[in-house]
Amino acid sequence: MEAAFFELSGISKYFAKVIANKEVSFSIQRGEVLALLGENGAGKSTIMKILYGLYKADEGKIFKDGKEVKIHSPKEAMELGISMIQQHFSLVPAHTVTENIILGNVHGIIEQKFYQGEIKKLAERYNFDVDPNDFIRDLAVGVQQKVEILKALYQKANLLIMDEPTAVLTPQEAENLMHFVRDFTAQGNSVIFITHKLKEVMSVADRIIVMRAGKVCGDIKRDETDEIELSKLMIGKELNEIIQDDQQIKVDQEARLEINNVTVKGKTNVPSLNNISLTVHKGEILGIAGVSGNGQQELCEVVCGAILPTSGSILLDGEDITEREIRARIDLGIGYVPADRSRDGMIMDMSIAENMLLKSSYDGKWQKRGFIAKGRLNQYALQEIQEYSIKAPSPETIVHGLSGGNQQKVILAREVDNGDKLIVFDQPTRGLDLGAVNHIHQVILNERAKGKSILLVSTELSEIFALSDRIAVLYKGEIQGIFNRAELTTEKIGLLMAGFRVEEVSQDAC
Amino acid sequence: MHAKLKDLLITNILAIVLGIIASGLMLLFLGKNPVSAYAVLITSVVRDGYTFADIFVKATPLMFTALAFAFTYKANLYNIGAQGQFYIGAVIAAAGSLFFQNILPSGLALIITLLLTIVGGGLWGAFIGFVKARYNSNEFLVSMMSTYVALAIMNYLLRTFLMETKGEYPQTDALAASVWLPRIIPGTRLHIGFVLAVLACIGVWILLYKTPLGYRIRAVGYNSRAASMSGINAKKLYVLAFFISGALAGAAGFTEVNGVQHMLVQGFNSDIGAAGIGIAILANGSPIGIIFAATLFGALKVGGTIMGQMSGIPSSIIELMQGFVMVFVILAYFVRTRLENNREKRKLQKAAV
Repeated sequence: MEAAFFELSGISKYFAKVIANKEVSFSIQRGEVLALLGENGAGKSTIMKILYGLYKADEGKIFKDGKEVKIHSPKEAMELGISMIQQHFSLVPAHTVTENIILGNVHGIIEQKFYQGEIKKLAERYNFDVDPNDFIRDLAVGVQQKVEILKALYQKANLLIMDEPTAVLTPQEAENLMHFVRDFTAQGNSVIFITHKLKEVMSVADRIIVMRAGKVCGDIKRDETDEIELSKLMIGKELNEIIQDDQQIKVDQEARLEINNVTVKGKTNVPSLNNISLTVHKGEILGIAGVSGNGQQELCEVVCGAILPTSGSILLDGEDITEREIRARIDLGIGYVPADRSRDGMIMDMSIAENMLLKSSYDGKWQKRGFIAKGRLNQYALQEIQEYSIKAPSPETIVHGLSGGNQQKVILAREVDNGDKLIVFDQPTRGLDLGAVNHIHQVILNERAKGKSILLVSTELSEIFALSDRIAVLYKGEIQGIFNRAELTTEKIGLLMAGFRVEEVSQDAC
Repeated sequence: MHAKLKDLLITNILAIVLGIIASGLMLLFLGKNPVSAYAVLITSVVRDGYTFADIFVKATPLMFTALAFAFTYKANLYNIGAQGQFYIGAVIAAAGSLFFQNILPSGLALIITLLLTIVGGGLWGAFIGFVKARYNSNEFLVSMMSTYVALAIMNYLLRTFLMETKGEYPQTDALAASVWLPRIIPGTRLHIGFVLAVLACIGVWILLYKTPLGYRIRAVGYNSRAASMSGINAKKLYVLAFFISGALAGAAGFTEVNGVQHMLVQGFNSDIGAAGIGIAILANGSPIGIIFAATLFGALKVGGTIMGQMSGIPSSIIELMQGFVMVFVILAYFVRTRLENNREKRKLQKAAV
């Protein structure tokens, strides 16, 4: 057998306090699609960043075509034909597609016309519908990703590393991406896919490397495995099927949260929410599906009071709370688990106990003669740590050092207690491993069973389908329609998320 | 934890030693022998009780201004206007004392003057927080410029309403002995203001770490967005934090006027605001650490003055030394982080084998 295109041998990487990779070895052949599968924090991104020259390995070697290579920077990686598309794109919004693609590779006077022509040709070859003159800021995320890919192709990459490429795409866009991957590898190039989605892996990969806790724990051909085996390898134990309750609890028809004709306009006067009306009943989970960035965050914030609507009204149990401040809404029993926990939900440099206090520091129950009742607070935090099986040595542990899943559980524990009536979940399981996802889903269902109302925003369709009683689709700040769960199929919802109207969808889907 | 504390002590002591060595090198450039200069420095501060006690006299206002900086720093705000708040405090302390000294008994006059000083300095500081909260102005600039305004107000008052009866110099009349702060050690200048300063350090520590208000201030400091999303009114806290900060700096005016100067002289103690920032950094923002850092600076100040008188070495060499010590202390912080990381790494490597 000829030498592998690229081979990683015995790579180890230590960060302060964690082992990111321990003796990782695998190879990739020319023309192969390799999936790097593993839970978050398994070390997938780290090993790829080492290959791409962003991190320096503490131990181990990298070979190209059998010869050892040293990669110290992304520049050197690109010279070897490696290109990586990060989860967060590195494009300049105020520049055009062309300018972004040639960035860093031109000197002197730039002949725009010449480059535009070249990029247009390149785009046509791969059937990419991209205009080289468009500004990045005007493009949808899916198109931006294509620009990133074009950038890699323009630099003549033979090995394309993609970090969670489908996380931001609609099902249709993801399908297009898969077409490209097959097309690209058919010409002798290779692709490494970093993902934790089993379905994607099965549909596109030739070979699968499974990683767990920084080590490789499986190197399998796609044809020789199935999703169940992969998930076992990935989490190291049997995957619990998401608890889907088919016997729907009868939803109380009494309204808990009513959003009436709410519009939110930002500074640019473009409405991020446009005349939205929703009702969440008591004991109901209303799922909000949609590709992220279509007004989800604004919807959540308008409910919890962080932004006030430009027009329209919000009612909780019939009481108008449109003008109420955040603190008043917390006191009324609205809990909020934000999507960006490190920015909006918690204070990374404080302890678990202190984070539990974040929303109730005014509340007398945690005070003793004007001081913080530390004993009581720690005891409460300890109780929550046990109840939510948060992996932390004590309530005084700084949350910064916890894994993402455990941080999320801290917020969850707090918000479930705060939200007596309504809990807003924005992407509650994004980026978490399966064990944590199942646990969080169970918590959401339990709270619903207690009669709380739940607004669940998620870009994971499986999550929306597994938990919601009714599903609303959000597109560009408008509701595309509200459906009972049984009325929707994955295909139909995908089209709605991509902006098709209900009328169009029913024609196409039938 | 043990290793961490060891790191902290060793790196900080090393930083101070390195600072002394580096400024010793500077002495060589002046053609002076650093060893004998330091010998003078050390022997001079311990030569008698009066001089030794003076270390703490000098440390007293520094503790207050360092606390003023450290307190807003915890809310991720920068109050570099402690000098101005100190002057406002000093003006009020002088005016209050002169007004009350003849109509109230000594203790009562002192307490009322102290309260007025605190409120005055506090309001002067709160203005910075207010424009920050209301108009989103840059507190760094506003606090800096407010110092010049305070200075101008002081100069104006010293030439008009507060000017001495002789009308010769821009200074007030001497305060009556009844409104002097009591001495705690007879035969020295050490006054009860030192005790107030230490209590203020402990009080600020308790406020920050044991009360809901301090908790909220720190929460806003670490992540104001998450704090706001949790119903904490960050803007209100900006005003409050600046009020407390200004009040602390103002209190320094009281202890200096009533404890040391016994009058108000134009432009006195013109560097304690800046020194306070350095001390707060040296103490890594810790109110308890400030007690020690301020004492160190007090010792350098006293020793430096004497050194200047005795050996013909310019006393400004002491400022150089303070600067070097500060730079090395800041470097020490990064060294500690590095040591900590390496230790954790080694532990992992060992455990993994």
